[in-house]
Amino acid sequence: MKRLFLVLAIITVLVVAPVLHSTGAIRPASAQEPVKLTFWNYWDGKNGETIQALVDRYNAEHPDVEIENVFVGWNELLPKLQLAVAGGDRPDLAAADMVWMPYLAKSGALVPLDSFVEASAIAIDDFYPALLNVNTYDDQMYGLPVSTNNLELFINTDLVAAAGLDPATPPTTWAELMDYATQCANPDEGIVGMELYTQTGEGLTWQYQVYLWQAGGDFLSEDLSQAAFNSDAGLRALQYWLDLIDAGAYAISDWGLFGQGQACMVMDGSWMVGIWADTAPFEWTTAQMPYPEDGEPATNMGGEHIFIMSDDEARQQAAWDFIQWVTSAEVQLEWDMETGFMPIRDSVATNPDFQTWIEENEPRLMPFVEMQQYAHNRPPVEQYSELSDVFSAMIERAIYGQMSPQEALDAAAAAVNSLLR
Amino acid sequence: MTAIARMRTGWNRANRRGDLSAAALALAPAIVLFALFNIYPLLYSGYLSVMEWDGFSPDKEYVGLDNYKALYESAMFRNALTVTFTYTVGTTLLGVAFSLLVAVLLNSGIRGQNIYRLVYFLPVVTSTVAAAVVWRYLMNPGSGYADVLLRDLGLTPPSPSWLRNPDWALRIVILVGVWKRLGFNIVIYLAGLQNIPKEYYEAATVDGAGSWDRFRRITVPLIAPITLLLIIMSIIDSFLIFDVVYVMTDGGPIGTTEVVGLLLYRQAFRYFNLGTASAMGWVIFAIVFVITLIQWKFFGAREAGL
Repeated sequence: MKRLFLVLAIITVLVVAPVLHSTGAIRPASAQEPVKLTFWNYWDGKNGETIQALVDRYNAEHPDVEIENVFVGWNELLPKLQLAVAGGDRPDLAAADMVWMPYLAKSGALVPLDSFVEASAIAIDDFYPALLNVNTYDDQMYGLPVSTNNLELFINTDLVAAAGLDPATPPTTWAELMDYATQCANPDEGIVGMELYTQTGEGLTWQYQVYLWQAGGDFLSEDLSQAAFNSDAGLRALQYWLDLIDAGAYAISDWGLFGQGQACMVMDGSWMVGIWADTAPFEWTTAQMPYPEDGEPATNMGGEHIFIMSDDEARQQAAWDFIQWVTSAEVQLEWDMETGFMPIRDSVATNPDFQTWIEENEPRLMPFVEMQQYAHNRPPVEQYSELSDVFSAMIERAIYGQMSPQEALDAAAAAVNSLLR
Repeated sequence: MTAIARMRTGWNRANRRGDLSAAALALAPAIVLFALFNIYPLLYSGYLSVMEWDGFSPDKEYVGLDNYKALYESAMFRNALTVTFTYTVGTTLLGVAFSLLVAVLLNSGIRGQNIYRLVYFLPVVTSTVAAAVVWRYLMNPGSGYADVLLRDLGLTPPSPSWLRNPDWALRIVILVGVWKRLGFNIVIYLAGLQNIPKEYYEAATVDGAGSWDRFRRITVPLIAPITLLLIIMSIIDSFLIFDVVYVMTDGGPIGTTEVVGLLLYRQAFRYFNLGTASAMGWVIFAIVFVITLIQWKFFGAREAGL
């Protein structure tokens, strides 16, 4: 009996001890201790350094708050947020892909910001409306944009010049792009003319959307209830991709050729300007994305939105104070200059100092700044991730020649419609 | 009864009681952990499979068997099952057959047996993700060692590249799967082979049996229980494959390597359909269970008699 009691006592201590330890760590913040907040985001590289510097500065200027900036990779952030909500150790605030905002806003895991916005006199009208759309659910705002970007044309001037083309006159129409790419491509050396994203996933969907919008089409109907991409415009956009492949301007491969110096051109995001400025082993420039002569300029936009998850009032207020600071025009100006992100506020975009700064420091950002007004947002539906995967799976089949483009678009429309029901 | 006999029976009874409580205590931690981390999640996911839940919100919606019905009607799920079956059959047959061959060779008394065993076993203890990343680099068109070597040997790689060709992607993944488990099968086979009495082989040689006959009529039948065990383990393991595919191909190209494990991951962690994902998990469990049961019934009964 004594032995049994002893063993049970040991087991109890072993099981209970870890729990005791963690509850001991949660003490209500005393007046002298700073409020500790955890801030999750997936910014890495230059963006990661910049946000860390901003957080450090905020901590230094606000001794009553200590924010811990935690990097979580893009692939892991959403699953980790989900696990954190289930496991009870959610971060106080986080910045995540705008595409996830409809889902997160609806989930009930985010704190509505309307009361904070009203109480703090933040100039909400200064933010681009398209950006605020994705954060709204049930007439409540669940996040604020903190960064944005769009897609334009990158040109490897070394390869282009070697092919006998003039880097100073980039293509401005689809026809010119086709010529440029076909001339520059060199299959024997593994050089493609125009790199496309051809693997299943959002990478393909969001690139395709640019061509779709340029051709005058829409991805979903206006009431977001069904697919609209299997229209003439949609077919035209897909056919253009297939024509590029047939003409030899692109050969199917994994993404990343441009960065390795094996693609003459690619449509990529403004965030790559900062990255390639540091790392590209070749000369390059940017230009507005060509659109068909009877089409319209358009681009896709991405970016991150920042939101509050904490369920403690004091921490919510502290988190809001940081959000207000980091989305203010002054900090955003600095943020954009360091990272190459596009302005989320009109006052930043039209700021003459900003424009001069760009011209003097990184004129290659100009096409992105000028085109931000033509950026469309992706449909703010909560099933967007699944929609994107089933859509791109069908398009991939067309690219591999397993389906005709019209069949692929129709199959994709059927799959998308069944998800939207 | 004599005093001694009475004492002995008393001892036995007391010991049995003591034995039982000692056994229960010793097993208790393992049982508790097993119940917490295996049984409870299993039952909870069964509960989730009749719900619709996005993992975040506090409400779950009861949907009955809708999730299972949707899986039954889903072409994507059927394709995933086909791919997974192909992968399983490929890795199991190739893996078990090849490992038996290697084990027999290793057992034939060559020198440096321990070194060979180490080399074959290293992939088993290597992290699957790390190995898959390296394999992916090896197959990189133009720069990966394997791709370059095969080109130098005169083989033209399939277009556009090994891992992006719809016919070859799954074959490469199967190859990596076989490579990963080979050492494990070999080590188990070696242990089994050493249990076969040498006299059988000597007697057979005296009777004029060649090495192929000795292999077919002595080795294979006597090693059959181990073969059955390895096949069952390989099937269960292969059916659940996820990390190799996630790292090397992410289900592509055009779904030719999209295994059920990948679909389940996407449903749960990308699309947040926890109900569908749970239902998928249970369907996979049911399939593997039935396969194992069939195997055990048909082939195990014979071997169990041995």
